[in-house]
Amino acid sequence: MKKVWLILLMVCLGVLVLAFSAGRYAIGLKDIGVFFLHACGIAADLPQVPKEMQMIFWNIRVPRIVLSFAVGSGISIAGAVFQALFRNPLAAPETLGATFGAGFGAAVAIMFFTHMIMGIQTFAFLFSILAVTATYLLASRCREQSASVLVIAGIVISALFEAGLSVLEYWADPYDQLAQILFWLWGSFQTASWSKVETTVPIVLIGCVMLYIFAWQLDIMTLEDEAALSLGVNIVRWRVFYIVVSNVMIAASVASVGSIKWLGLIIPHIARHFVGTEHRKLLPVTAVLGGTFLVAVDTLARSISSAEIPISVLTAIIGAPYLGYLILWKKEGGGELGS
Amino acid sequence: MAVEIHELTAGYDHLPILQGINARFNTGRVCALLGHNGSGKTTLMRCINAILKPYHGAVSLLGTDTVSLSRRQIARIVSFVPQSSRMFFGFSCIEMILMGGVSRMKLWAVPSSKDRQQAELICEELGITHFAETAFNQLSGGQQQMVMVARALYQDTSIMLLDEPCSHLDFCNQHKVMRVIREMATARGITVLVTLHDPNLALSYSDDVLILKQGRVAASGLTAVTLNNANLQAVFGDNINIDTTSQGMPVIVPRYVAGSNH
Repeated sequence: MKKVWLILLMVCLGVLVLAFSAGRYAIGLKDIGVFFLHACGIAADLPQVPKEMQMIFWNIRVPRIVLSFAVGSGISIAGAVFQALFRNPLAAPETLGATFGAGFGAAVAIMFFTHMIMGIQTFAFLFSILAVTATYLLASRCREQSASVLVIAGIVISALFEAGLSVLEYWADPYDQLAQILFWLWGSFQTASWSKVETTVPIVLIGCVMLYIFAWQLDIMTLEDEAALSLGVNIVRWRVFYIVVSNVMIAASVASVGSIKWLGLIIPHIARHFVGTEHRKLLPVTAVLGGTFLVAVDTLARSISSAEIPISVLTAIIGAPYLGYLILWKKEGGGELGS
Repeated sequence: MAVEIHELTAGYDHLPILQGINARFNTGRVCALLGHNGSGKTTLMRCINAILKPYHGAVSLLGTDTVSLSRRQIARIVSFVPQSSRMFFGFSCIEMILMGGVSRMKLWAVPSSKDRQQAELICEELGITHFAETAFNQLSGGQQQMVMVARALYQDTSIMLLDEPCSHLDFCNQHKVMRVIREMATARGITVLVTLHDPNLALSYSDDVLILKQGRVAASGLTAVTLNNANLQAVFGDNINIDTTSQGMPVIVPRYVAGSNH
């Protein structure tokens, strides 16, 4: 466990340094060091770096990296929670319709509320929560109160919001609104700012802490319903707790940067490979791994070509083959996916 | 009295499976529930464990009606070993056993090293230490059943329910699991209710039996007295008979196997 953390933190540090340095405006390692020493109030006698570089570093790059790390952590942890809650290694943050709800909300804001400050973020957040609430209400109408009913309700609500999104895309002005909608749906940190950090990071942080505190109960939620009930666990109440906390995190993350696909599916599997299935160990590793991975992907997205590559394109290029590898490898190993 | 059932009627989708059941299960005894498939054995267990709400009647655990007990309180009194357990993730056996202690712990607490030691002691008692660190979903059915019994023991309750614990097990493992259950009940004074398909297992390991037929109690009482030809034939049909082995042990066999002359 200690070895895993040591390697993980070293990789994380390496990725962060690279992310601070790389980009269209390259910043040297020495300058990065000076920035942080100045920020800590030490080494005041060190030479000043150009104002332009300072501005890019503190107002563009740092918030972007902080936001991508937080979003990566939040979405990955939510993925791990959903996989446990639905006892399904293929569950992801999209399972209950949060992502499609956010997409629809963002499209509504882009088409009808362009004048609103933070309109896209607000609408994406609200519709994301609305979609999950609709999923929960639909599932609660069913006589059988199982996790699989929630998944089916999630598919229904996702399909409805996806249909609504398609209608809006059909109506949208192809030269302006449609491009904006598609760009948002692919996900990007191009619009990252300190204000987005302020609205997103505290929510993700509080969510992560809450899920970590009650991580052991999540172990028990992976049991079949009747087994968990027999152990004295109020499964309905705990399910609501994990769904609410995870979805607020997903909604806050997706609302600020758009859809980030595959991340919540693959990162928990990688983390499980290193630290096993116990959630008290799994969730912190998933958070750091997810954050590091998304910072690395974002660095790649803004560095490998003159135009920024949407995040979901890169996460799909990496995630899909990895999932294929996982299935084949697990088949050879004889174990089940997720173990 | 460990469990008391009064005029219990219960079922699914407004279709009653159990009708007017009255029964009492004494402390520290092993009681086998027998009956055909669909006779209501599992439904009765689900009512005792308060998983299924009855249409009518009441179940009391240690003198308290289950209606007035919370889920956590019930889990401190009753443990349950299901027929088979599916685990979707690779938790080790010791982690699975530790989950049995959740009803005694604070909501945010995690098992301590002392809890782990206690779980390891139970593994030693049951002779399953050699696979305690193995992933539960990589074990055979018999080994999984032993882990489930270990978890129920770790739950440390005065009543234990076992739903067909031998249904997926081979002959040797059936007797191994039943022997463990019998020994634990005697050593710890636990009241055990176990549903069985094979009346011979009831004959060998239980103190009392309760036989269900079409959701009603067909017979109940001491195993040695109740498992007689009349009761067995009334429930399972004419082709069942009690025979005696060369060592003088009673054995229940279908009549066409007991001898072609019958």
